[in-house]
Amino acid sequence: MKKFFKNIVLFLLLTICIGEIVVRLTHVNSDIPQRIIDVDGIQKYYPNQEGYWKGGDHKWKINSMGWPGELPESYDNLITIIGDSYIENFMNPNDCHQSSFLKKEMPNHNFFEAARSGVTLIESMEISKQMDTLKPVLTLIHTGDGDIYESIKEIKSLTDITQLNTNTEEIVQGKMKSPGLKKVLYSCKLLYYLYNRFPINLSNETQEDSKKVKIEISKFKTNETKVRVLINYIKNNYRIDDKVFVFKPNSDHNIINIFKSLGFNTILLDPSNDKNWSFDHDPHWTCYGHERVSKQVYNKLKLRYNL
Amino acid sequence: MFFNSIDFFVFLPIVFGLYWLIGSKRIKEQNFLIAIASYVFYGWWDWRFLSLILFSTLVDYTIGIYLNKTEKLSKRKVLLWISIGVNLGFLGFFKYYNFFIDSLVDSFTFFGKELNINTLNIILPVGISFYTFQTLSYTIDVYNKKLKPTKDFVGFMAFVSFFPQLVAGPIERATNLLPQFSKERSFNYANAVDGLRQVLWGLFKKIVIADNCAKYANIIFNNHTEYNGSTLLLGAFFFAFQIYGDFSGYSDIAIGISRLFGFNLKRNFAFPYFSRDIAEFWRRWHISLSTWFRDYLYIPLGGSRGGTKMKVRNTFIIFVVSGFWHGANWTFIIWGALNALYFLPLLLTNKNRKNTDLVAEGKYLPSIKEFAQMTLTFFLTLLAWVFFRADSVSHAISYLQNLLTSSLFYKVEIFPSTILLLVLFFIITEWFGRSGEYAIEKIDFIKRPIRWAFYITLIILMFSFTGEEQQFIYFQF
Repeated sequence: MKKFFKNIVLFLLLTICIGEIVVRLTHVNSDIPQRIIDVDGIQKYYPNQEGYWKGGDHKWKINSMGWPGELPESYDNLITIIGDSYIENFMNPNDCHQSSFLKKEMPNHNFFEAARSGVTLIESMEISKQMDTLKPVLTLIHTGDGDIYESIKEIKSLTDITQLNTNTEEIVQGKMKSPGLKKVLYSCKLLYYLYNRFPINLSNETQEDSKKVKIEISKFKTNETKVRVLINYIKNNYRIDDKVFVFKPNSDHNIINIFKSLGFNTILLDPSNDKNWSFDHDPHWTCYGHERVSKQVYNKLKLRYNL
Repeated sequence: MFFNSIDFFVFLPIVFGLYWLIGSKRIKEQNFLIAIASYVFYGWWDWRFLSLILFSTLVDYTIGIYLNKTEKLSKRKVLLWISIGVNLGFLGFFKYYNFFIDSLVDSFTFFGKELNINTLNIILPVGISFYTFQTLSYTIDVYNKKLKPTKDFVGFMAFVSFFPQLVAGPIERATNLLPQFSKERSFNYANAVDGLRQVLWGLFKKIVIADNCAKYANIIFNNHTEYNGSTLLLGAFFFAFQIYGDFSGYSDIAIGISRLFGFNLKRNFAFPYFSRDIAEFWRRWHISLSTWFRDYLYIPLGGSRGGTKMKVRNTFIIFVVSGFWHGANWTFIIWGALNALYFLPLLLTNKNRKNTDLVAEGKYLPSIKEFAQMTLTFFLTLLAWVFFRADSVSHAISYLQNLLTSSLFYKVEIFPSTILLLVLFFIITEWFGRSGEYAIEKIDFIKRPIRWAFYITLIILMFSFTGEEQQFIYFQF
């Protein structure tokens, strides 16, 4: 029995080591950048990290400011772009980022992306406050319904992201969620691969997701007051005249109308007369999708600001 | 609980650890643990149906005891028929009730009469066909005085519900498995390693071969009118490897796990796709079921002892019943009848036992004749599998009509090269390992580093090619 267990343990260890090597060599997992919280309480990435996206076709890089993508050549005539994983865009190479496409359309401007997966709208506003020190001529804030609802603590309290308490009108800064566990998970690529590949209780999650869809329908009606408090808070506490809020396709018109009525500049992306913008099994935009988004944003900016 | 689930990978080491911790001297406690573990294993799927297993166990245990107490033939017969009635009654109700009602209503409609009988929303208890046949074998063997009835209820409970083979076989004979529950089982290193190796090979068959073939078989079968003949042939080919990988994979895992606990189950598959004729195929495919029908149906019916008419009748009966055992659908009955048609010429010309040896024994490659024989047999089974896989008889006929056209010689429209390469690797491994109980049994002669590298390659392939988890096909039977 001892020999049996000894050999089993030895075999498992060897399998884990070889598995780790195979996973690293084949890049079946995407490398995940490590996060920090800066002095302003903003969650960003450790500067100057780099890693491979799934499959190893391209690398992502974190610049010296702690945001994904390249830094602009100059900060003159700067347009900043703030958003979540859609703008962070690890799944496409740098040439397919919004800044890259917009630079082609507007060569006299410089672009700086500040994006991180999971940011809420209120977190984007906090980031914009920090980015305003660079004196941008314009800031594009990419957002959607989810980013707005997740900004409100009373709808769903999330400890790891920045939210607004709409009762007290106070910002509640996000904290790092299980940083130790994440470090282990991201360092041991095999473990992370298994975690991603074989999610536990998948069927329950699917049932939960279907419930969520039904709930979404009445979400605006239920939370209209809180959404209004949030938008008013943004209007009263941040500079909005140089901000353009770019809404993801299929965003709730009720919400966009509140933004418009309070004097916000908005753009609603519309993929309806186009090919699919997203990956097959991932809602994020492909390189083509990003190109089309930048085109729509540019066309609207050209009309409004004569850029 | 499925063998290819995370739950089972937690369950098995716990039961294994407890089992050997109890110690080989304490057989009763070990049997009790197996019975409890088996009930947990089954209850994980649906605890309500545990009552069925328990009831069958109680009935057959009690009848066994009473059969031993009486020598009066009429009374023994009554007892036997009670057991058959109870076991087949459950099976008939849960598996065949709706089929019979539908068929009855269809028959009346055919003759212009309307019959209003509603079918019931019945859930088929997993593995009912397997454990029913296993307990029946006990009562019949006790009735025939081939086996002394057991007085150890816990041991009998563990025998009926033994979790490695509870839901999809092999269908064990009481004469083989039951005595093992009353003997001391000591841990044997070589046996345990061999068991684990067989489990690994079974998982590879299921996860890499069956599940990946299933993906393409499903696409082609579900959209068969859109494809040419060659693609439909490929669809049948994929299904042939899906069902083989799935079912023989399950059997390998069951046999392998049993060996970890010191039990020896009977072999269920013996490389059936290397058969040179249909008779050989049926000696190598689902052996535990074929031999069950042979011993408990074919031989009592007279076997091949009577005249030609008797032979034909009995052959048809066991093939059709075997088909019907698989499911309450005419497709399975036709599948069985088609195999009977394939088999009869061999039986009537006394060539059904011509190929009892190992094909190309001691050689690397088969002769041209053997290769042609294997190809023809495989092609015949492919055609029969179409009925087995199809949703209805009309689906199967339409599939075959589209297959057997000149487009059979066109270029295939779906060609998943990676999956086909994996199937080729699988066939080659099976071919070179065909003299063993399972394909990689005799890998022991290779040096450990290479052997372990091979195992790790299998594991990497399993993780790389895990598709959507597919339930084992035979769970539904």
